[in-house]
Amino acid sequence: MIHRISFRPSKALFAAVALMLLVATSARAELLIRVTEGADSAIPVSVVPFAENGSMPAGDKVSSIVQADLAMSGEFRALPPEKMLSLPSKRADVFFRDWRLLGQRYVLVGELTRSGDRVQARYELFDVNREERILGETAGAPASNMRSLAHHISDKVYEAITGVPGAFSTKLAYVTLDRTSGQPRYRLQVSDIDGKRARIRLESKEPILSPAWSPDGKKLAYVSFETDKPVIFVHELGSGKRTKVADFPGLNSAPAWSADGQSMLMTLSKDGNAEIYQMNLQSRKLTKLTNHWAIDTEGAWDSSGDGIFFTSDRSGGPQIYYMAKPGAEPRRITFGSRYNARPRPDSTGNYVYYVHQRDRAFNIARTNLKNDEETVLTRTESDESPSVSPNGRMLIYATKQSGESVLTVISADGGAAYSLPASEGDVRDPAWGPIVR
Amino acid sequence: MKLSVQTKVLALLFSAGLFAGCSTTGENMEEGGYDSDVAAIDQDGGSTVYGGGDQGGISSSSMTEEERMEVQQQAEQQALREITTFYFDFDTSEIKPEARDVLVAHARFLSSNPSQNVRLEGHGDERGSKEYNLALGERRANAVERFLIVNGASRGQMQTVSYGEEKPAVMGSSESAWAQNRRVELDFE
Amino acid sequence: MTGQERELTSTGVPQWKSPVALSVALHLLVAGVALAGWSWSSTIHEPPPSSISARLITQQKPEPSPIVEPVDQPDREREQKELEKQKQAEVQKRQKEEETRKAAEQKKLEDAKRKAEEQVRKREQAKAEELKVQKTREAEAASQKAAAEAKERERRKAEADAEKQRQQEAKRKAEEEKRRQEEQRKREEAERKKKEEQARQEAERKRLDAERRLQEQQLGAQAEQARKARADEARRQEQAAAAKARETQMLSESQKYQALIRERLSQAWYPPSSATEDMTARLQITLLPTGELAGVKLVASSGNTAFDNSALGAVKSLSRYPVPSERDTFETYFRQFTIEFNPRRLR
Repeated sequence: MIHRISFRPSKALFAAVALMLLVATSARAELLIRVTEGADSAIPVSVVPFAENGSMPAGDKVSSIVQADLAMSGEFRALPPEKMLSLPSKRADVFFRDWRLLGQRYVLVGELTRSGDRVQARYELFDVNREERILGETAGAPASNMRSLAHHISDKVYEAITGVPGAFSTKLAYVTLDRTSGQPRYRLQVSDIDGKRARIRLESKEPILSPAWSPDGKKLAYVSFETDKPVIFVHELGSGKRTKVADFPGLNSAPAWSADGQSMLMTLSKDGNAEIYQMNLQSRKLTKLTNHWAIDTEGAWDSSGDGIFFTSDRSGGPQIYYMAKPGAEPRRITFGSRYNARPRPDSTGNYVYYVHQRDRAFNIARTNLKNDEETVLTRTESDESPSVSPNGRMLIYATKQSGESVLTVISADGGAAYSLPASEGDVRDPAWGPIVR
Repeated sequence: MKLSVQTKVLALLFSAGLFAGCSTTGENMEEGGYDSDVAAIDQDGGSTVYGGGDQGGISSSSMTEEERMEVQQQAEQQALREITTFYFDFDTSEIKPEARDVLVAHARFLSSNPSQNVRLEGHGDERGSKEYNLALGERRANAVERFLIVNGASRGQMQTVSYGEEKPAVMGSSESAWAQNRRVELDFE
Repeated sequence: MTGQERELTSTGVPQWKSPVALSVALHLLVAGVALAGWSWSSTIHEPPPSSISARLITQQKPEPSPIVEPVDQPDREREQKELEKQKQAEVQKRQKEEETRKAAEQKKLEDAKRKAEEQVRKREQAKAEELKVQKTREAEAASQKAAAEAKERERRKAEADAEKQRQQEAKRKAEEEKRRQEEQRKREEAERKKKEEQARQEAERKRLDAERRLQEQQLGAQAEQARKARADEARRQEQAAAAKARETQMLSESQKYQALIRERLSQAWYPPSSATEDMTARLQITLLPTGELAGVKLVASSGNTAFDNSALGAVKSLSRYPVPSERDTFETYFRQFTIEFNPRRLR
């Protein structure tokens, strides 16, 4: 006789299991406190002046550059070194209690060692409350390039705390106008994020407009009036070689590189009125993307590389529009005022920044692309030319200060403004360079 | 190919009609739009029309009258043509009524002097976006150009360029400065 | 990045990974693995066992088989003749014997027959005589029986008459008796009734008395009970009110301190700029009655390290949490509680 075995878990077993689970989950009713708002201010951070072994090159100290970088982001408030109770350079010397008393959240300590014409930096970042080291690295650079070393450290510190890569090693391109010597002198310049190490790339008696970085950070496109009309050039920064890419009758303006660097959006009016075209930089073949009697200009690729934001006044005044792909039916994005122009989408795909008229003032605003919410970010009178940092966390724009145009950096949500030290004359039309590894 | 003035006018009217027809759905056109400056001005009252005198050759006294009138008109026209800058309201390329007489005078002058060339330079005030202002300046210059063509000038005589906000006539951030910078300048070479 | 360490105070584990559930799951897994080894199906068919039928074969003596002897060849013919003769002689002898036997048998048979007939005759004779005797006897028996019956009848009749008389007599007496008893009964009945009546009245009186007394007692008891109940109720209400008041006080105290704690944490929290409204980090806090932090555990991560760390940093930055001094309230609400960080309003 054969026994058939079947599996039917007994009811008792189920009951037992259920009872056990019930006992495990029914803890006493626990108090739950919800914190939904944080401090409205910047994170207190201490950048302790690095210890130095050997003679250091002249110029700003590495730690003060890092401190300035973090402050510029608008997200950190650095403790002045004179307020520090101690100046540690390694873990053993860090007494967290001291830093806690000062209300600090993070402490950066480090040491610089000179060897020949190189400088080594060993640095560590500590979370004061958790008493943990969250970053530790050694990095080296030629003694002539200390600023780059400092910006590298800033990038790492920023990323360790916020989770977002820092953009402090990127470059800025902008145009200055010098009117002091009778004749106006326009200069296209490239500098560090803090305005330092500025180098003139082009000098002209006629206006230079709209510098645009290639995705690899090696070239700049811009509009030059050197032939008494707007013409688009591509300028290789390494060699200084220039190539004319658009010189059609009428406008040649608003250049914008594609993500792969192979094509460029541009505004041309050769067919009667200002329209947006896409030009293949190799073949110089043009594709017309807009077709409307209105002004269509300032094309800008979105973060995905598929869609294009642009300015159009087809509804009466300039507004921001979006094409899901080149040549697609445009959709209007801005409705909040009668003047919205120069869209600059960020790399996250969450926001687009633009010039926005509010009452009589022109400010920078941004629209949240997920929920169409518009926020005005600046409170000054005459703002223009917004450009977003490649990590989406900062924004630079030009604003009028005592009759002259200066550049200002704000955090992307509009907090904390940081004015770049004004170089000579009028500084305008900033373009934030890409992160290059 | 040399077309007669009438044919050119007809052609322009046709294309103006096309522009009026091409509007996207759901958009509000600004009142007045961009076609208003293309309307032929000749139907307006109040402009002097050169033509064969109806009262020609009757008496010696009337001839002197005509001569005097002609001289006076020419003087008026010349005075008008002293004005070479035309202003615009914010964010528009609509030609102001007070500019029309002047532009007609320029048009007639150009028409009578086919070898005379003129450069139309469009500008905007400093506010807003540079690139948009560049396009706006061009549109203003084009508006003036169209107007001149409608009133007798030929396209070949004219060249347009826009400087956007880059070459203000007046420095400053006041309403008055801005108003003076929103302009088209005629540069007779 | 070298040397980057992750916060690991004691990472909390999500609920579904509690030791109980793990144990159960493990047991189920073990059971399942063990049971999986068994063959489940009953489709395995074994052939039915072949039936063995056995039959007992009785032993029989083997019949002797004729023994054939070897014979010489040369004298064969003579032998055969001899044999022939012998055979004949034997046959004759046998025949004779046979005849004799037969005759004898015949005689036996006849004898037997004769005897048998004789016996039959005798038997029949005996039978007839028996019959005769039987008949005579039967006749006698019959006459006797008749006589007996007659006597019996007479006797019975006499008995019956006597009986009847007796009965009549008995009946008469019984009736008399009955009458007498009836009268007596009536008398007794009346007597009894009177007594009953008296007794009833008496009982009635007593009952009424008792009732009255009982009622009074009950009323008294009721009153007492009511008094007691009121007193109890009052006491109960007092206690409830006191408890409620205590509870309310504890609750409002706890709410007050909750708000304080929330305020302090809010001021101390720097959510990273990349925080989004769907990030939630949950931490379990253990405090000492002094308000000092005894332990923190991340029980639910937001999925974003920077966000989690910002929450942990905020919690750890408070050197002393505002807690009520009332021990009860502290133990109920603040010994161990949960904090949830989730940015609601982003600029």
